[in-house]
Amino acid sequence: MPDALFQFAGVTKSYGSIRALDNLSLRVPIGAIGLLGPNGSGKTTMIRTLLGLIPIDSGSGEVLGLDFRQRQLDIRRQVGFATEDECLFPHVVGVEFVAYAGELVGMSAADSLQRAHEVLDYVGLGEARYRKVESYSTGMKQRLKLASAIVHDPKLVILDEPTNGMDPAGRQEVLALAHDLAHNKGMNLLFSSHLLPDVEAVCDYVVVLGAGKLLAEGQIQELKRLHEQTFDVRIKGEMGPFGQQLATRGCRAEIHDDQLRVRIPAGESQQLLWEVAASQNEQIRYLRPQRSTLEEVFLNAVERA
Amino acid sequence: MPIFDQGYQHWSGTLSGHAWRWLAITRRGVKTALQTRWVRLALLLAWVPALLLAFVLCLWGLFERQSALVEMFKPMLTQVFGMPIASGPRDYRVEIWTLCFHYFLAWELWFSMVLVLMIGPNLISQDLRYNALPLYFSRPLRRIDYFFGKLGVIVALLAAVIIVPSILAYVLGLLFSLDITILRDTSKVLLGAVLYGLVIAVSAGTLMLALSSLSRNSRYVAMFWIGVWILSSTVSVVLMSVEHERRMSESGANWQAWGNEEYLQKEIQAAKSDWRPLVSYTSNLSRVGERLLGTNAAWERLGQLAPPAQRSTFLLQLMGNQYPWYWSAGVLVALFLLSIAILNFSIKSLDRLR
Repeated sequence: MPDALFQFAGVTKSYGSIRALDNLSLRVPIGAIGLLGPNGSGKTTMIRTLLGLIPIDSGSGEVLGLDFRQRQLDIRRQVGFATEDECLFPHVVGVEFVAYAGELVGMSAADSLQRAHEVLDYVGLGEARYRKVESYSTGMKQRLKLASAIVHDPKLVILDEPTNGMDPAGRQEVLALAHDLAHNKGMNLLFSSHLLPDVEAVCDYVVVLGAGKLLAEGQIQELKRLHEQTFDVRIKGEMGPFGQQLATRGCRAEIHDDQLRVRIPAGESQQLLWEVAASQNEQIRYLRPQRSTLEEVFLNAVERA
Repeated sequence: MPIFDQGYQHWSGTLSGHAWRWLAITRRGVKTALQTRWVRLALLLAWVPALLLAFVLCLWGLFERQSALVEMFKPMLTQVFGMPIASGPRDYRVEIWTLCFHYFLAWELWFSMVLVLMIGPNLISQDLRYNALPLYFSRPLRRIDYFFGKLGVIVALLAAVIIVPSILAYVLGLLFSLDITILRDTSKVLLGAVLYGLVIAVSAGTLMLALSSLSRNSRYVAMFWIGVWILSSTVSVVLMSVEHERRMSESGANWQAWGNEEYLQKEIQAAKSDWRPLVSYTSNLSRVGERLLGTNAAWERLGQLAPPAQRSTFLLQLMGNQYPWYWSAGVLVALFLLSIAILNFSIKSLDRLR
């Protein structure tokens, strides 16, 4: 297994005057990867490029160590893809659907049928395996697509907006399955979504795209790092006078909802906050170093772009 | 801890190579088609002419051998074929085999059109309707694999009613004749029948796939096909009738002119340059089939047995259209290329902006 799941080097792809990927360069490690970005940011184009489904205008890249300009079919043998769109092989029952997906990848008919039963049990569609797929609910169709994506035990599973249109319970089930595949079954995962909690629930690493460019990337835990000089503080009394007093000691204090976000000067510690509170005869009810949320990371990245 | 974990299990099998990937699509398509009762019934009915062909070839083999088994049929066969053939059947072996296959394939052409009507409209239009193309093309398949796979469904089912019965009937006829020279004499007939079967299957298959790729509604596709098959034939017949009437009125002939040698010669000459049959899709297939089987040569040989006064009438009535076969081949090639262009245009890869 190569150390990078996939990498892009100066990849540009345009549709007429629209530049879907703009000189994109990145190197993504193996593991569970979240692909974030607003609508039209180039997520789907990036996935199609990874699979070798579309020719790029310039640049180069690899997926699982295979050049996506030269070895598209080899890549697709090792990758399972669940599309965002609702798409079905018509007039088949669930188990035939998944078995057919396996045969198209190159599994023998007997293997794919046996495997189809196994993965349908895994995704929780065992009871519905002999129902026509047209009668499946949205959540069942999503799980069916997931089953057909993993039927050949791929090294990488790409899920494009897998929770779209699902009810909360169904969404949780799909997220649990994706998490289990990535963290307990040793499968690499590329999880594309515009829903930040979904990505946060499943992935360890995130790539943020905007207008075809890389806006941010990194381990989610690192992006959500602690800010050692910034604290969220809640006090018993009025926040305004307390903030003004902190400002006289070189702090920068802003009111956020029902608490103060205080940035203390370099070289100072949180002891400074206790000293000011004591001098003001104020009670501190809550004190915690600030930690960025993924939403902040995402919004900051989009704003910077 | 459960004895057998029913959670996700890794799979350690091997994936097959790429060359035969299209076969998975064909296999699935044939299986789906055979789940329809009417398709199964049509396939069974399409085998009736094959049984008749096999019966006639076997009978002819016994007749050639002057077998006692066909003693009771001899008067009837003598009456049907005439004395010259009955007294020396081996001399007319090629012609009889050719014409047997000719009539068999004429029936099978009709059944082929029906079968294509039953199985073809769903092949691509349903994939478009249910947006199945991303499911295909996100797997290790190229567009050409997809087309081959879908075409394979039609070719497989048409081969089952044209090529397979042709070969089986040929082998049966061979076995009943107990004469190895029959291989030398008639192998071209079998080859012609197989090639003609392939021409029908590939031409009708690509045309139907092209029509199927034009609409998400299978009913419209079926109507297109009926238009290609029945409407084009009807228009062709009407055009030919109008032209025939015009020629008759120009020459002042009437129905009694069928006994007039000069009139018949004019009609034979007209049949050699009349383009109107080209309008009919099935006429084009038939004309190419006649060329592959050598039907005209067979009719001309048998025509020599007819009394000289009736020879022209015989040939005119039985040989039908006599325009150059390559006109029809040109029409079929043009339709094939048009179908490929339509498929290429309709079935895009995923290189599009959503």
